[in-house]
Amino acid sequence: MAFKTLSKSEKAYIQSSLQASSSFRSDGRALQDYRTVALETGVVPLANGSARINIGKGSDEGGGTEILAAAKLEVEDVEHGDGVEGGRVSCSVSCSPSAYPFASSGTLDDLQHDYTSLVHSALSHPSLRPANLSILRGKKSWLLSLDLVVLSDCGNVYDALFMAARAAMWDTKVPRTRSVEYRASKNRTGGGTGDMEVDDEQQSGLDTRQVKAATDFELEDYWDEGEPLAGRETWPVCITLNLLPRLHFLDATSSEEAAIPHRLLLAYSFASRSTPTLQGMQLLGPGEVDLVHIKALIQEGEKYASDLYTSLNTKLKDEDIRRTDKARLRFAAVR
Amino acid sequence: MDVDPFDDLGSETFRLTCPGETLTSSQAFMRGHGTYVDNEEVVASVAGIIERVNKLVTVRALRTRYNPEVGDLVIGRITEVQPRRWKVDANSRQDAVLMLSSVNLPGGVQRRKLESDELQMRNFFEEGDLLVAEVQAFFSDGAMSLHTRSLKYGKLRNGQLVTVPPILVRRLKSHFYSLPSGVDLILGLNGYIWVSKHVKDSEQEGEEGFDAEAVYSNQNDDIDAATRTAISRVTNIIRILATHSVPLTDVVLLEAYEWAIEQEVDVKDLLQEDVSDALVAAVTARS
Amino acid sequence: MSSRIEILNDGGYRSDGRRQYELRDMTFDMSEQAGADGSAIIAHGLTQVLVSVFGPREAKMRSQTLHDRAIINVEVSIAPFSTGDRRKRARGDKRILEFASMIKATFEPVVQTSLHPRSQIDIFVHVLQQDGGVLQACINATTLALANAGVPLLDFVCAVTGGVHAAAPMLDLTTLEENDLPHVTVAVMPRTGRVTLVSMETRLHVDRFEEIFRLAGQAGSVLHKEMRAAVRERTKGVVDAMGSGLRTSDFAEDAMMDDT
Repeated sequence: MAFKTLSKSEKAYIQSSLQASSSFRSDGRALQDYRTVALETGVVPLANGSARINIGKGSDEGGGTEILAAAKLEVEDVEHGDGVEGGRVSCSVSCSPSAYPFASSGTLDDLQHDYTSLVHSALSHPSLRPANLSILRGKKSWLLSLDLVVLSDCGNVYDALFMAARAAMWDTKVPRTRSVEYRASKNRTGGGTGDMEVDDEQQSGLDTRQVKAATDFELEDYWDEGEPLAGRETWPVCITLNLLPRLHFLDATSSEEAAIPHRLLLAYSFASRSTPTLQGMQLLGPGEVDLVHIKALIQEGEKYASDLYTSLNTKLKDEDIRRTDKARLRFAAVR
Repeated sequence: MDVDPFDDLGSETFRLTCPGETLTSSQAFMRGHGTYVDNEEVVASVAGIIERVNKLVTVRALRTRYNPEVGDLVIGRITEVQPRRWKVDANSRQDAVLMLSSVNLPGGVQRRKLESDELQMRNFFEEGDLLVAEVQAFFSDGAMSLHTRSLKYGKLRNGQLVTVPPILVRRLKSHFYSLPSGVDLILGLNGYIWVSKHVKDSEQEGEEGFDAEAVYSNQNDDIDAATRTAISRVTNIIRILATHSVPLTDVVLLEAYEWAIEQEVDVKDLLQEDVSDALVAAVTARS
Repeated sequence: MSSRIEILNDGGYRSDGRRQYELRDMTFDMSEQAGADGSAIIAHGLTQVLVSVFGPREAKMRSQTLHDRAIINVEVSIAPFSTGDRRKRARGDKRILEFASMIKATFEPVVQTSLHPRSQIDIFVHVLQQDGGVLQACINATTLALANAGVPLLDFVCAVTGGVHAAAPMLDLTTLEENDLPHVTVAVMPRTGRVTLVSMETRLHVDRFEEIFRLAGQAGSVLHKEMRAAVRERTKGVVDAMGSGLRTSDFAEDAMMDDT
């Protein structure tokens, strides 16, 4: 972000350090090193899934980049409402003014819009849609709204946004539903069990109750949280490659971003282990990259993304276990 | 109040207070910073430590913006260029002002200001530039005015900035340090700290040597890898000490630096929690 | 809409098992937030609010600066996931602006703005979870964040929500109770007992109002004790960490000499 102004000599210092023969970053990291990432799921009790992520707490002027993500499920009507057959995912990003204390509200709105469009276009793509967002074929489906709040920005917001989104989706539980159906009993005369024989043809022409059957759903199990989103492995991870001639580096701090504004965002999804798919790509900042170079970068990015994917999954599984244990302990304590 | 509130001031513990707490009677004492008078009582207005000099009672807040005093050495960043003056962010409650008449201009220290100087102010300092300066005076509204009329002061190059809470930097005899392995440090009293490559003293000395090109240059010198490593190491050490609220002095910094070398810790590993805890423990134990 | 849940049962317990005047569990977190001069996260039961304070600093808009005091700028954002049903409010939402102006009005007489002419104090409030008493949480969190940032305050401001159920006053309401009961939020400065905010959006009998007003004042001093302890603990933590560095302070020695 261009919110942090640096002097020319500071920029030159950062750039020349990176380009030196033994490239060096201001906090001593190697080019491909991430800062410490802290992740916690289940932080918002009123949401169906949530996560808080922090990159680089304590390493860069205090707080680090912090993002809060929460997914909420709502029922949508497919026939008459906004609903889409099979359900849909909608993402929105809001930026806290405390993340950009020097920005005007107009700038903040623009920024929110940029983040939202990027995250939304990558995550709401039909190829990623979880199979269990449908409730009743042709009638009802779930709308999954994912809200992300940027609480502070100390660099590398894009990677953090995708990590937070992925963690919140991972954590999301879809309530189990059972469809129920009401059929208008064919005889309207009694409290009818349908045993009596009545002639269908004799129905009054003035009877406007045309509804023959109504279907709806009920929640199957009130006490259970539900089942995880189908295909939660597939949610993409984003890798931001910060570009300098002949080299690139990962997880830039805000100072590094101010010194090197040229970046390539790559979002990969790992549906099946072997072949990751590129779900999104964006070139930010001034400058151009030639095609050959882009190809090479995509190859490289895939490697980093797969590392990030593996470690993120390990962490998310740990979180699952930690929370089950916590819940068990609490339950034991209550008893 | 029956008890003298300052009984235990000389002992090892500090008296803490919070906004709205009555400290003493306003008839016997005078109110200083961080207090106000209400109903003939001196009341604290900030959370912090109670201090007393004779009859003057003050409360020092621990986390607050920089409170400037004349003669302080500060590091600032230019935020705006205005007619005949620059606005400088110095972590205070208002931006500081650097007048064109308060800087040394190329072509001799005593030279008169020309109109052409006003037109090329961005050649001296432009938005984003960092500088080291001294607090010269205050305007009536409380904003500070800076000056860079010394060869020690001026634009900063060859390094990087770290920021810490201002209370961690004490007023000392000198705020310019040189650490071994060729690193220079400037501890601004406003909590901005400049870590850079060591410049030989001889290069700075003498009015004759005043070179406008060098003073207002944006170009960095050649810096070798060892020096860059050292700069990063010092920066990380300062960050760690700051997050653990350890006041920065030359002694502490030197000890921390030596500890890091002795333990052969990699620069990036310094920020690992266990390593930084060990570093803080080592430094505070020794002092 | 009247809920099926009993607000106050015959045994004198509320729906969440509290007594009439019992406050919910409170937690305070005053650790640092990136870049802010002071911040605090406060939770009253399930209601959770984060406040960051920036400044006093150079005012962003020069046209708004006041030559004799600092301006206070409050911005409130409510997380879309903070309520049961998702609801996204834009920055310009009326309700949000009203909230912000209430917080601003509460703190204007408390912050010593005249000490910092021409500067600006930004208070950014984030409502992360709502379960009743959002305004009280915002105000209490703002107090802590301001104290944490070293902004001079005349006193703490402690806010409590009170309501009346069938002539029985109750304190610190949850959303469930707020929906059913007339309620009022009162912010007091405990030192002088002065009140800086009274906010009521429902109707309440005058006699009942007086009672609840008095109770809220008393609850305010209970809150004050907790909040003061939190600030003290935070201050003490920093002082202990600074250790010897503070002891060489230029003032302490003078004072010691004076005492002997």
